[in-house]
Amino acid sequence: MKNLKQAFKPWMGFVLFGLLLATIPLLAQYTSLIKSSTIITIGGTLIFAIAALGLNILLGYSGLISLGTAGFMGLAAYLSAYLTVDLSLPFELSLLIAVLIPTILGVLVGLISLKIEGMYLAIATLAVSEILRKTFEEFEFITNGFSGKTARFPLLLGTFQLDRASTYYLIVIVLVIAMLLTYNMMNGQVGRAFNAMRGSESAASAMGVYSLKYRLIAFALATILASLAGVMYVHFIRFAYPSTWNLKLSLDFLAMIVIGGLRSIYGTVLGAFIVFAIPDLFLKQIPFFNQLSYVLNGVLIIVVIMFYPNGLINIGYDLKKIWLKIRKGVQDVTK
Amino acid sequence: MLQNNELLKIEDLSIAFGGLKAVDQLSFTIHEKEIFGLIGPNGAGKTTVFNCITQFYKPNHGNLYFKNIKDEVINLVDLKVHQVIRQGIVRTFQNVELIRELSIIDNVLIGAHIDYKTGLISQALRLPKAVKEEAIYREKAEGILKKLGIYERRDMLVFGQPYGILKKVELARTFMSDPKLIILDEPAAGLNDVETLQLAQTIRQIRDEFNCSVLLVEHDMRLVMDVCDTICAINFGKFLAIGNAKDIQKNPLVQEAYLGKEDDDE
Repeated sequence: MKNLKQAFKPWMGFVLFGLLLATIPLLAQYTSLIKSSTIITIGGTLIFAIAALGLNILLGYSGLISLGTAGFMGLAAYLSAYLTVDLSLPFELSLLIAVLIPTILGVLVGLISLKIEGMYLAIATLAVSEILRKTFEEFEFITNGFSGKTARFPLLLGTFQLDRASTYYLIVIVLVIAMLLTYNMMNGQVGRAFNAMRGSESAASAMGVYSLKYRLIAFALATILASLAGVMYVHFIRFAYPSTWNLKLSLDFLAMIVIGGLRSIYGTVLGAFIVFAIPDLFLKQIPFFNQLSYVLNGVLIIVVIMFYPNGLINIGYDLKKIWLKIRKGVQDVTK
Repeated sequence: MLQNNELLKIEDLSIAFGGLKAVDQLSFTIHEKEIFGLIGPNGAGKTTVFNCITQFYKPNHGNLYFKNIKDEVINLVDLKVHQVIRQGIVRTFQNVELIRELSIIDNVLIGAHIDYKTGLISQALRLPKAVKEEAIYREKAEGILKKLGIYERRDMLVFGQPYGILKKVELARTFMSDPKLIILDEPAAGLNDVETLQLAQTIRQIRDEFNCSVLLVEHDMRLVMDVCDTICAINFGKFLAIGNAKDIQKNPLVQEAYLGKEDDDE
């Protein structure tokens, strides 16, 4: 048993998790357990999880706040739609450009973060995001303004035209790779440097961590993941409206990582499910809760911060502890 | 600029905060493999001297010549904070600065930050060279933790550990970079008598095993007198006296600074 535990590497966990997610379209296709519309909701949730993973690197590990995630995600979405539809570039090339441009912008924001911190950084990033949203409304020749921009499912390598289910698989693959790479980075030298920066700026610099460099890396990683999510979004949902990329979405990302668990990779995905999938799949069926999903998120954040500051991902561990305690209690009584 | 076995030469160091001269034309020299104590009453400017050496503060005036790992003589004033450790100077903090959410061994590994050669991408992809590098430093960290007697706690979180352990973790972190000069800011603060005795032993052990000099600021006189080869006393940022423990204890200026002056008028 112990050997089995040792042989089980973290990457296997991520792959298993991916395989689990990949069964969902099959369940929809061959059984009646899951409606096919559910795939859209879950696919969307996984896309948001990719962006939230980036915010977790930024806020959770490095202690830098950003309320600009939605703006960067939107920018990548519009860019990719424009490049594939209007300029007919191949999907892979437009993906590259649509990730690169927001990342450059994100790094510039990282430069700002050297001068301002905490609340002020939150406001500055929010401003960047709002500027971007306004740009989406005005630059109609790229974004099609309020009418919304349409895009197609990805065409891989110029030959494989994906449909909804296969795009979903692509999303799962991207998510699993993002989780795996994030895990590797955050458990190595770079992750420790981020942690040091968050924990104590003076100790970090005394140990030779160059704040400027690592802040820029943190912002770059966060923007890369947000942009990837944006590209996936526009080719999966196939629509993008300016109103999607508003403050609420940025706050939802924040909610996801706080509820799921700061510095937890699975927690981020769990948070995405709680914030996006659960209201959509379950609460909307109940008439009263239809309008209340907003409120529910707020309440959930307060409850989690008060009673579960490490995030709901730790609930399994704590339940196990309680269970062991109860079992021990029962044994003591029966003795 | 530096004689044979001189390691750090402080020349005319001055820094003022507004109108207050925290350090005023201070000069002293630390030699190789020396345990050097900096003492003075509260507010004498000891920690300010530390912060000037490690470049947390930029001195207004003066030079800090240091013989670095490559045996080149450099002026520390030209460096940024994060570059100081690369020259071979590493410090601890008065109020232990560790990352509470990380395990003890991860905290120690932060001390090896500058030694990593592999980049972000090879770390993200866990390329063989990155895995190997991580293993090397992990082993080194484990060795240091064993020496300090806290190896069994390596995987515990720093959060919730007793103060004595935290001080040891911070020490362990400084050893990771193979420094030439370790700067300890009040290492005995918050330790009990037994732990302080152990600390004196540890400091000597550091010097002998890691072949480095130690500069410490300390309030605990017993520790300072016990462990230091040379002691420099300062008051109000000004130099008072330098010498071994006996000289310092006998020095009238030092006695005056600590105990006050007899009033001649009465």
